[in-house]
Amino acid sequence: MKKQKIEDIFSSMEDFSSVPPPELWGQIEEKLDKPKKKKRAILWWSAAACLLLGLLLPSILHFSSSPQNKNFDNGKGGFENNRVVLDEKINDNTKKGNINSNNNHNKTLDSVTNVSSTKDKLNNSKATQEQESAVAHANSKNKTNKKDSESHMQLPNNNVPNQSLAVQNFNSSEEKSGARSSKKSILEKDKFSNTKGIAEERVAFGKQNKFNSTAKKQLSNSIFNDKLVPKNNNNFAFNTESSAGNTNASKQNAAVYKNEKVSEKTLAANTKDNSKFNTAALSKKDSMQLAELQNLEKGILAPETKKEEKDKKDKLINKKEKWALSVFAGVASSENTKNEKTLGNVNDSKQSNSFGVKTKYSINKKWAVGSGLKINELGQSVANVSYVSAKGNALFAPGEYASNSNSPVSQASSNSDYILISNSTKEALKGDNIQSGKLDQNLRYIEMPLEVSYSVFNKNKASINLNTGGFVGKLISNNVALDGHSIGENVTANDYVYGSTLSSTIQYRVYKKTNVFVEPAMNYYINPLNSQSFNQFQWGLNFGLNVSF
Amino acid sequence: MKNDREGQLKIYQLFSPVLYGICLKYMKNEDDAKDVFQEAFVIVFQKINQYKFEGSFEGWLKRIFINKLIETLNKKKKESFFLDVFDPDTDFVEEEELEIIPMEQEKLLEYIRDLPDQYRTVFNLYVFEKMKHKEIAELLNISEGTSKSNLNRAKHILQKRILSIKNFKTA
Repeated sequence: MKKQKIEDIFSSMEDFSSVPPPELWGQIEEKLDKPKKKKRAILWWSAAACLLLGLLLPSILHFSSSPQNKNFDNGKGGFENNRVVLDEKINDNTKKGNINSNNNHNKTLDSVTNVSSTKDKLNNSKATQEQESAVAHANSKNKTNKKDSESHMQLPNNNVPNQSLAVQNFNSSEEKSGARSSKKSILEKDKFSNTKGIAEERVAFGKQNKFNSTAKKQLSNSIFNDKLVPKNNNNFAFNTESSAGNTNASKQNAAVYKNEKVSEKTLAANTKDNSKFNTAALSKKDSMQLAELQNLEKGILAPETKKEEKDKKDKLINKKEKWALSVFAGVASSENTKNEKTLGNVNDSKQSNSFGVKTKYSINKKWAVGSGLKINELGQSVANVSYVSAKGNALFAPGEYASNSNSPVSQASSNSDYILISNSTKEALKGDNIQSGKLDQNLRYIEMPLEVSYSVFNKNKASINLNTGGFVGKLISNNVALDGHSIGENVTANDYVYGSTLSSTIQYRVYKKTNVFVEPAMNYYINPLNSQSFNQFQWGLNFGLNVSF
Repeated sequence: MKNDREGQLKIYQLFSPVLYGICLKYMKNEDDAKDVFQEAFVIVFQKINQYKFEGSFEGWLKRIFINKLIETLNKKKKESFFLDVFDPDTDFVEEEELEIIPMEQEKLLEYIRDLPDQYRTVFNLYVFEKMKHKEIAELLNISEGTSKSNLNRAKHILQKRILSIKNFKTA
């Protein structure tokens, strides 16, 4: 009796096939419908988490750093929370103007730090301290639609097993060698190609694709236009009998077809050739199936083949790029989210510009960390602020108003001789010198952010990242202007600020490693002023250029 | 294509027998084979747009299935899978040549599935997928030596079983 190795005994198992139970297709359909929801849910949850984190972080830091937020009130509710405190330059000018004034009133202008106490004296009212308590509400309502999409595709019970085909192609030896050489090149390409997280990635098949060694039984050579096989003499063997695990039976071919000319290049040519099959030998059912498969192939094949090389190049670039350097500039708008008031008037939003450089390091495909430098401006604008100007008025003395009226004069201006008056006290003051104007305050910082970035979308040339993190800023410019004229500085401004930031970067590759991006962002400044409130929330929109390397 | 249920069904009908056969060869019991079969097919349809038309479609499908099978086996026996233990009894036993005994596929499948997971996986990859030990080692994250010894042990076990049948028949 002839002897053989164990591999030979089991060689028949190489082509082992078995028709799966019919209910499996239904279960696969169910699973196919579910993951989409999951993925979407994950995306929304992560976006919501980032948003929540971005909003909660500043609040937590804010309340942990300043347990008491003190605000002064004149007892009549006239003064709201804010006071504009101006330069110490005030002193000389006010002294000149206040010849007849009470010494106490002069003293009120002597020192900026004494403003609170002098105000108390002027008002003859109690300075009451109110402790504001703010609660940060973060409501996140997540509604999930759990509408189970039912499959419209009803598979007849006997559909799967009966229609399953054991298909075999018997390639000529010439084809095999051709196919193998092509496999080799394919796999070498595979080694370098960056496929996206599919299970396929894990296989390192080395120089030869062993799975393709079974190509002799692959319908795919004919179904999917395999360009690399120069001459494809595919023989289709359709086994119309479906019997579980019976490959021998599958070899009882209903018909054998020879495809003499298969075009190397186009699917159209391929389908043309296929139409040359000896259809007489095909049963109607089989030819219909074949036609459907060809249509199927068209659907898969059409747009992808041409872009392959380009995609590969892009992926190769992506793979190497760890660092990115960006320059950006944009607009920002500081918002009054707490309805804060200054001198009885609501603080309005203020637009400003920002610009800077940023660098990012990719930790992996999804995550990156970044930092940089940014010049940004936080501001607020208060309309209809009442003030008294002593400019050109030799007889003007701020103290006059105070002594006559017993009502507060909130702030005094310095080099231009301005006294800012709150709304509530404006009525109480007599005189024609009271004017109103627009008060602008700008605090410019150089900031250093530290951000974590998560890639939520990355396909072809486009990508979307969500960024969140914190920043520290150093005050570099401090200006208070009344009707466009600078009247000094806000002396309660902190030299160093910190806060949190949340942004989304939408990026598009324009040339090799160069990208353009747009970045909607929001920043929260925790401590712009040391004892007063100020616009702390800022929207921003940056536009920039990004180079990866 | 990704959401074309009819197209998906066609692919399923065409390739499911071969792929289900692979699952049966790699998994010890049929329930596990069914589970992996479903999960792998879901991956196939989710990732079908990533098929680059490099090589055959069936080869691509098989790769996904085998990766999924190995992943499942690894999860099942994370600690004991692919232990690199030297066994002189089997590692250096020369392979015997056996007389041809016509055997049914079902019987052969039973023998394969009776093998311990680690032996069965290496045996399947080496004998049916024609992979080299180096490639198997890379895929399974084991040493080449382990791959070789697992294969020898698998062969040894199968040999014993076939011989026992032969002896039974001749007796």
